[in-house]
Amino acid sequence: MNLPPGFRFFPTDEELVVHFLQRKASLLPCHPDVIPDLDLYPYDPWDLPGKALGEGRQWYFYSRKTQERVTSNGYWGSMGIDEPIFTSSTHKKVGIKKYLTFYLGDSQTNWIMQEYSLPDSSSSSRSSKRSSRGSSHKPDYSKWVICRVYEQNCSEEEDDDGIELSCLDEVFLSLDDLDEVSLP
Amino acid sequence: MSESMSISVNGQSQVPPGFRFHPTEEELLQYYLRKKVNSIKIDLDVIRDVDLNKLEPWDIQEICKIGTTPQNDWYFFSHKDKKYPTGTRTNRATTAGFWKATGRDKIIYSNGRRIGMRKTLVFYKGRAPHGQKSDWIMHEYRLEDNIISLEDVTVHEVVGIIGEASQDEGWVVCRIFKKKNLQKTLNSPIGGASLSGGGDTARTSSSSHFFNDDSLEQFLELMGRSCKEELNLDPFMKLPNLESPNSQTFNHNCHVSSPDTNHGVQVSNVIDTSFVTSWSALDRLVASQLNGPISYSIAAVDESQVDQDHLVLPSLRSPYPILNRSGSYHDGLSQEHPAEMELWNTTTSSLSSSPDPFCHVSNGSG
Repeated sequence: MNLPPGFRFFPTDEELVVHFLQRKASLLPCHPDVIPDLDLYPYDPWDLPGKALGEGRQWYFYSRKTQERVTSNGYWGSMGIDEPIFTSSTHKKVGIKKYLTFYLGDSQTNWIMQEYSLPDSSSSSRSSKRSSRGSSHKPDYSKWVICRVYEQNCSEEEDDDGIELSCLDEVFLSLDDLDEVSLP
Repeated sequence: MSESMSISVNGQSQVPPGFRFHPTEEELLQYYLRKKVNSIKIDLDVIRDVDLNKLEPWDIQEICKIGTTPQNDWYFFSHKDKKYPTGTRTNRATTAGFWKATGRDKIIYSNGRRIGMRKTLVFYKGRAPHGQKSDWIMHEYRLEDNIISLEDVTVHEVVGIIGEASQDEGWVVCRIFKKKNLQKTLNSPIGGASLSGGGDTARTSSSSHFFNDDSLEQFLELMGRSCKEELNLDPFMKLPNLESPNSQTFNHNCHVSSPDTNHGVQVSNVIDTSFVTSWSALDRLVASQLNGPISYSIAAVDESQVDQDHLVLPSLRSPYPILNRSGSYHDGLSQEHPAEMELWNTTTSSLSSSPDPFCHVSNGSG
């Protein structure tokens, strides 16, 4: 992809679902075809570089819906957060974002996965049930998900690429107010 | 997949879905601004020129759109316009308000080398000094003009640098955005954030945990500037408050000689070279102070002429010592300030008492 310096893959939730997930699920070509399909390969999160699409410290890949997302050395456990995704124009629900956290043995890590899926109703749930019974080996394209994986750390808020004010700037900003008050 | 990735930015543009213009500070400075300053054509016109005096932030938001995707920040080049022909102050007033600098400039590093500075400004509606603070923030990036290292510019750029006339250093690259939630950030633990390890060193490797070195660099910058301005005795110079009540509260060990190990060898080289000129600059400054009239006093400066944009230390206009003010906001800061104060106070005590003002400072830097 020949983009000038500074362009990065920072999709909105809506873009991920509408442009990438819906098209993948309907077997339409994704353009640009940047997100690789890792299916259910049991990669640990630190093995994703080079395999998933990496941008900043986030990794994107297609996978399949699964009850147990087990990797070589651990597993992804649900955080119990399901976030609906709406289109900005019509406010129609187009997807669901689930949060998972990575466990190494019994211990929780800082690795987070956001799993984007299409709402069940959008694809015919009857047909997906039929295929999940396994009578046919046809892949069930309504069960694609997009995973976004990143490591959450305390520096994330202070990820000072300038998009936000640093804490220090905030303090100085509030000092400006004090200055005005204390002026004679 | 690259064949049809045409991006025409002016007007209707086609940025592929999911992609945003989200440059690092390094890209802004080293790629975009460096080309702009040297009048080298930038392949894609993603960053437009904006006359900051003519456009309000909400207008810039419209003009600097890239594509049709939602944006949180907007980028443009701006040419710094001097407020007064002889001064160094920049006029950043618009019809509806003005941009006012806040805090201190941040040093931008690339691979441990200093490449530029970032100034943070806030948009106030109305006219100074009664402006009403808005949520619009601007980061103004400028290339570091003190350090010219030919080794890391390409052949094309050398042409630009040698042909001095073709280099226009008045250009800055700016990013504006709307501040999100002040309260949340103020109440969140600052110390925890600033203590985060240097995990992001591949990008701009300066953040608040380099605070001490920031102070050092600020100090050196002051020295560099005083070299140019010393004879004018510019009342706007960033000198420490000589009457600082904190003067006696810290020991006077000079930490100049211990650059943060995170910066690596390259940076200490930079510091060392700039040191030579900086200290000689200070030397001359002090000489002019000792011999010259005592009337050079910050307190004597006409309040109305003080350019708030260029005051680094809030204590200049405030009855409170820096430490107390910051400390009342968060303990994390009060731990960071002493090192800064040490540095300043070392200078202060040198200026006022020691017959050879530099003996212990110089020793410290060796």
